[in-house]
Amino acid sequence: MVTRPAWRSLLRGGRAVAWVTLVAVAWSAVHVGLFRGELINAGGWALVGQFFAAALRPELSPAFLRLTLESTLITFAYAISGLALSLGIGSLGGLLSSQVWWIARGWKGRALFRSPWLIARGALAVPRAVHEAIWGLFLVRILGLDPLVAILALGIPFGAITAKVFSEIIDEMPRDALAALLNSGATPAQAMLYGVLPRALPNLLAYAFYRLECAIRSATVLGVIGAGGLGYQILLSLQSLRYAEMWTLMAALLVLSGLTDWLSARIRRALGAPARLEVDMAADCATAAAARARATPASRALLALLAVAALLVPLSVGYIRPDFGKLFAPRTGMLLADLFDQMMPPDLSPAVVGTLLGLSAQTLAMSVVAIAVAGAFGLGLAYVAARPARRTRGAWLVYSLARFVLLCCRAIPAPVWALLILFVIFPGPLPGALAIAVHNLGVLGRLIAEAVENADAQPSHALKSAGAPPAQAFLYGLLPITLPQALAYIFYRWEIAMRETVIVGFVGAGGLGRLLTEQLSSFDYAGVLATLIALFVLTVIVDGLSTLARRAFR
Amino acid sequence: MFRPSKIGFALALCASVALAACAAPPPAARPAAQPQTFVISAIPDQDPEKLNRLYGKVSDYLKEQLGVSVVYKPVTDYAAVVNAFRTGDVDMAWFGGLTGVQARLQVDGAQAIIQRDIDEKFRSVFIANVAAGIQPFDDISGLTALKGRTFTFGSESSTSGRLMPQFFMSKAGVALSDLKGEPGFSGSHDKTIKLVEAGTYEAGALNEQVWNARVAAGEVDTNKVIVLWRTPAYYDYHWVVRPDVEQKFGAGFIQRVQQAFLALDAANPAHKEILDLFGAQKFIETKNENYADIEAVARQIGKIK
Repeated sequence: MVTRPAWRSLLRGGRAVAWVTLVAVAWSAVHVGLFRGELINAGGWALVGQFFAAALRPELSPAFLRLTLESTLITFAYAISGLALSLGIGSLGGLLSSQVWWIARGWKGRALFRSPWLIARGALAVPRAVHEAIWGLFLVRILGLDPLVAILALGIPFGAITAKVFSEIIDEMPRDALAALLNSGATPAQAMLYGVLPRALPNLLAYAFYRLECAIRSATVLGVIGAGGLGYQILLSLQSLRYAEMWTLMAALLVLSGLTDWLSARIRRALGAPARLEVDMAADCATAAAARARATPASRALLALLAVAALLVPLSVGYIRPDFGKLFAPRTGMLLADLFDQMMPPDLSPAVVGTLLGLSAQTLAMSVVAIAVAGAFGLGLAYVAARPARRTRGAWLVYSLARFVLLCCRAIPAPVWALLILFVIFPGPLPGALAIAVHNLGVLGRLIAEAVENADAQPSHALKSAGAPPAQAFLYGLLPITLPQALAYIFYRWEIAMRETVIVGFVGAGGLGRLLTEQLSSFDYAGVLATLIALFVLTVIVDGLSTLARRAFR
Repeated sequence: MFRPSKIGFALALCASVALAACAAPPPAARPAAQPQTFVISAIPDQDPEKLNRLYGKVSDYLKEQLGVSVVYKPVTDYAAVVNAFRTGDVDMAWFGGLTGVQARLQVDGAQAIIQRDIDEKFRSVFIANVAAGIQPFDDISGLTALKGRTFTFGSESSTSGRLMPQFFMSKAGVALSDLKGEPGFSGSHDKTIKLVEAGTYEAGALNEQVWNARVAAGEVDTNKVIVLWRTPAYYDYHWVVRPDVEQKFGAGFIQRVQQAFLALDAANPAHKEILDLFGAQKFIETKNENYADIEAVARQIGKIK
């Protein structure tokens, strides 16, 4: 966190970033066709009217309520199963890609860069760059229609992300105990188990609970592309324009998502863990340590929680019944070889590369517009959605309303937002960008609100007691402290918006995702691979730029 | 802070339970995993509940005719049905002209065996919202009226909702770039009707049989939507079966499936129900060669590489 005179450092470090950002947003806005006439499809307002009118009479027949409950359980079970797999991958991968582990095993100084550490880090970079929906499409090709596909599609990329964060958490821990244990003759494994893990555990657990929120959202999206559950049912109702059913399903999704988010936030607060991105950004650990010192996690409650989690996993897996035998079936190997045959070599003919370049620019523009809109609105809503200091009824009402709006935005998956937006905006990159924006402003607003709640209230208190009006207290007290972190979140979320351009493409909302849909429905796998390469390159570029920009706010 | 021993115990508990869950054999009552189940599927070109009703009846009928267990597997999009057919998760599927060709190109020896009487001479209809003020026409050149209008197809892979309409449009000299905004892909024939009726798009194209069925059922407001033009006829929907079903269910099985469909008789009330849901009077035999034209058009538009 920034502790220097905040405004000045922010202006100095951020000036270049600010200019580049402004130019990029302007270029992107032009590129997604914001100024190209014929954006709004006036014919669609009637449908939008019908859609909202149906909210007053959701479908409540017993049969449909049963379907809704089943779908909710399926989505939840997918999230839990996928999360369990990803935590397994994340724990192992996190250990193997942490510096500490290899240092404990005796790789010193420069030799570290010749150790398996780099291999482990590199091996985790690829699955992380591929959106879970694309994993799903590929796994379906080789495993066939089986619940296993959704579990793996969620577990593999999530596992790689978790591994990265886990390794950073482990590496940030003080190493004195580790060294002492190693010097007194403990094996590397023992030294890690007793010297590093106990200290890292609250953070590891907090991050695991944060991933649960993401897993619910992700399981919903995978539902949209065919895994079943709430996402799938919402898509079906939307495709048949049966809005009354949609509202029922949406309500279930809001409850599921809201409960998960609330539970996860409470547990993370109890663990006294820092907000998750401080970990991501390897910010200074002083605040985190302070936060931990404040918290006294109840060990017994935690154990109960772990027991519940341990029970939930087999229950979830039992509920969706994946066929693990498929992993080792000869057919799987044959289909994999066959898919490989069809994809190689990628179709890099000049015509295709030309198309890819044009669409890559469009995709990049989509992600920039999406995150600019999400950032602006998310930031605005976050200060309203932070728990008010004074508990007047009015303040509480505004706060609850803002929280609810944010929940609606993030609970509903981007492809569903895209379909709704396509009622009134012509197909193309803009509806896709807006859909990603709406979904991500819900996520961003909540993250920033959490940061605001955890912020140091003293400067703004001091200003208020010195007689400054609330607006000034906000402008000179609260905003400078929280803005750097908020901006860092926004840039971090840009990476995710970039990956999400693919899934709105599936419903015809522009960019490389749109091309990918067309190629998949033409079974043009050499073309699919070329598109995936373009997406991968874009992802790497965006991740790099986002990291650079975040450094400016350190 | 925590006491490591407790945490270690809890983690060990977690791990052991999770492992036990993974190691447990999959439950035996998996319908799809039993080798002796004949699995059918269909492209989702209409509302899912209509499909479920129809194919539930079809599976029951086939079960009774063939004496094997038959399961209908609903699938979410056109390409997914082709994939499931390719991987062998589905033994026989009801495809459109284009998806049928795509599926046969991916499974050596797959055969188109049976279709509805109407599929020999299938047509698409171009429809428009009355408010758009486009007049119906008799000649293909009338399609030029779509220039500068908003327009929606059905699914990307639909023969009657995308492939043939786009083919006739290009024949009339209307490129997709001549439309107002980008063309929409509604996802299904039903949704195309609803979007044009609501005025979201001024015009659209869909399969004639769905249009006729919805008009007959009074589900379309014909004061709001009119037919502009019916296309010339082409071959469309048909059942395609995998060659390996003969190994599973014995020699001659494909012929028995064909016979079962040919035996559907409109005079029999139970049969009539199935035929009505299919929008047909009877089923007739078909063969792979009937779809050479569709394949040529698909290659021209780039839907088959």
